[in-house]
Amino acid sequence: MLTIKNLHALAGEKQVLKGLDLEVGAGEVHAIMGPNGSGKSTLAQVLAGREGYSVTDGSVTYKGKDLLALPPEERAREGVFLAFQYPVEIPGVNNVYLLKAGLNAIRKHRGESEMDAFEFLTLVREKMNLMQMDESFLNRGVNEGFSGGEKKRNEILQMAVLEPALALLDETDSGLDIDALRVVANGVNSLRRQDRAIVMVTHYQRLLDYIEPDKVHVLSDGKIIKSGDKSLALELEKRGYDWVKQEAAA
Amino acid sequence: MSAVGAKSTASPIERYKAAFDARWQGNDELTALRRAALDQFLSTGFPTQRDEAWKYTNLRRLETRSFTPADASALDAHQPDWLTTAGTRIVLVNGHWLPALSSQTAQPPGVTVLTLKQWFQREPAAVAAYLKEHDQLTGNALEQLNLAFFEDGVVVNLADNAVLDAPIYIVHQSTTGAAGCMSHPRVMVRAGRNSRATIIEHYLGANEAEYFTNAVTRFEIAAGGAITHYRGQREAPRAFHIGHIQTKLAKDARYSIHDIQLGASLGRTGITAVLEGSGADAALFGLLTPMGTQHLDAHTRIDHIAPHTTSEEDYRGIAGGKGRGVFNGKIIVRPDAQKIDSRQSSRNLLLSPTAEIDTKPELEIYANDVKCSHGATTGQLDATALFYLRSRGLSESDARALLIRAFAESILSTIGLEPVRAALEKQIDERFKLANETKA
Repeated sequence: MLTIKNLHALAGEKQVLKGLDLEVGAGEVHAIMGPNGSGKSTLAQVLAGREGYSVTDGSVTYKGKDLLALPPEERAREGVFLAFQYPVEIPGVNNVYLLKAGLNAIRKHRGESEMDAFEFLTLVREKMNLMQMDESFLNRGVNEGFSGGEKKRNEILQMAVLEPALALLDETDSGLDIDALRVVANGVNSLRRQDRAIVMVTHYQRLLDYIEPDKVHVLSDGKIIKSGDKSLALELEKRGYDWVKQEAAA
Repeated sequence: MSAVGAKSTASPIERYKAAFDARWQGNDELTALRRAALDQFLSTGFPTQRDEAWKYTNLRRLETRSFTPADASALDAHQPDWLTTAGTRIVLVNGHWLPALSSQTAQPPGVTVLTLKQWFQREPAAVAAYLKEHDQLTGNALEQLNLAFFEDGVVVNLADNAVLDAPIYIVHQSTTGAAGCMSHPRVMVRAGRNSRATIIEHYLGANEAEYFTNAVTRFEIAAGGAITHYRGQREAPRAFHIGHIQTKLAKDARYSIHDIQLGASLGRTGITAVLEGSGADAALFGLLTPMGTQHLDAHTRIDHIAPHTTSEEDYRGIAGGKGRGVFNGKIIVRPDAQKIDSRQSSRNLLLSPTAEIDTKPELEIYANDVKCSHGATTGQLDATALFYLRSRGLSESDARALLIRAFAESILSTIGLEPVRAALEKQIDERFKLANETKA
């Protein structure tokens, strides 16, 4: 589904990604771990098409298409979803309006008809239930005045409604207490499907206790230096990152 | 109507004098009043940028045009831009009342709605006395110009305790026939004790004409009275629009204005609220949206004369293209006016590097036990929010329009009258989607 080859990218002026390779197949859940500053968030931003990040070399192929050639909204319509590390507060834009506008833009792109109000609300209520969110969230401004945990739940709610083929979760566990982490993890797990890939970027192993990855990668200094199964994450938790770096250097 | 709105070699003063002599003769009291007003205008002329109140708005372009008094002119039967509201509708075309398009429904007891001419026919002395009392002393040259040239207008009288549930809708429409013409409509509302009403003023011009609207609106609100005033300015793209709004509030009276400026090449509203009785409250909400080469200006003055008076002011500007916006908000607290609570906020959004908004809060506080706050910000669309919306599938232009609408929402949400709010929301959305498409 996603093939990243030799990706080099700048965040602003700074070279952050320095030859990253990654292959993610449909139905797989990947965890990308790494110390601060290793390039985890840059990877997520580059894949979603954020301005201010420029690719200097390499390629990203998504479902056979050159992902980097598409503007952010085209990527979203093709099924790429980024759950933000810091979801943006947008007072004056209703949550429910954003969900509906996003969903209808994606459906239109797929050649499907727009959902009517009844169908849409039924869908949203079902997903809100899953995320244990109160219906009052719908008519509030996007993330406006939400707590950290509410914002992260709202990201996964959007993911549940938009049903992406490739979900990128950027530090979705950060700032969550254990109860909120469970709710978010349950939401993500319920979205695991044979035709959907999930890439989680995280600093801590904790999230992986709740969302079990098929593959774990260590990102260091802009490259993936080691890949393994979930046992790698446990080892990182015990031993830190230094041994992987030394092993890679050797 | 010989001179069309082109540049003329005669001095502006001479042209206005000639236009006056051609239109108004006679020696009755009203004409004498008009002549005195004209003389005052002639002696000061148009304000210049040396005048602090006109620092950011240059009237030179208006001054060099030759405008003559407008005739009433036929209107298309179909006016899709008008609001549909229940209640009385009064249509002034180029400053003249058009009974055929107006619907003066029966008013509840204690409510009188007349055109200024109707009032003059009934009580000529009262009209002259009223104008003399309220207009002759203003130092504003353009208000004097209105007094010199006004043709007609609307007079609303609310007796004590009169409550008007349906709004009074006043349409000021300029037609193609208004090319090169000026109109000076006036609206005068006298609200008795504990009376209540909503007044909608809608300035429209659906044509390519260059014309000049110079409108005066006055409110006198007696103790406990409450007036809600919606003022939508959607003049034609080449029009000049100057509005003067003055409100006097007695004890516990309330006034709120929603000053929405969308149209005209050069538009300005000057709003003065004078809080004369304790417990009086004024709320000023405004939205300025200069696009293209538009220049839109809001000049407000809230005068806390009595103690225990309150005011709230929230203005937002959205400027694109080479549009220019001006907000100047003056708040005066008189020496004996203690226990004042006054809040002012001016927030502005620039959509292009060539747009400009000048915002100038002015606080003159002579009392010591007061709460006055003010804040002004100017910024651009939030790039992170824009990316967030696009990452959910929205096109860049939809995302921009949505954020612009969200910015305007805090003003639009103050509009309690559903048809007015819905129409404005639609206009804002259309306006900024269009702007985004032309941008690309």
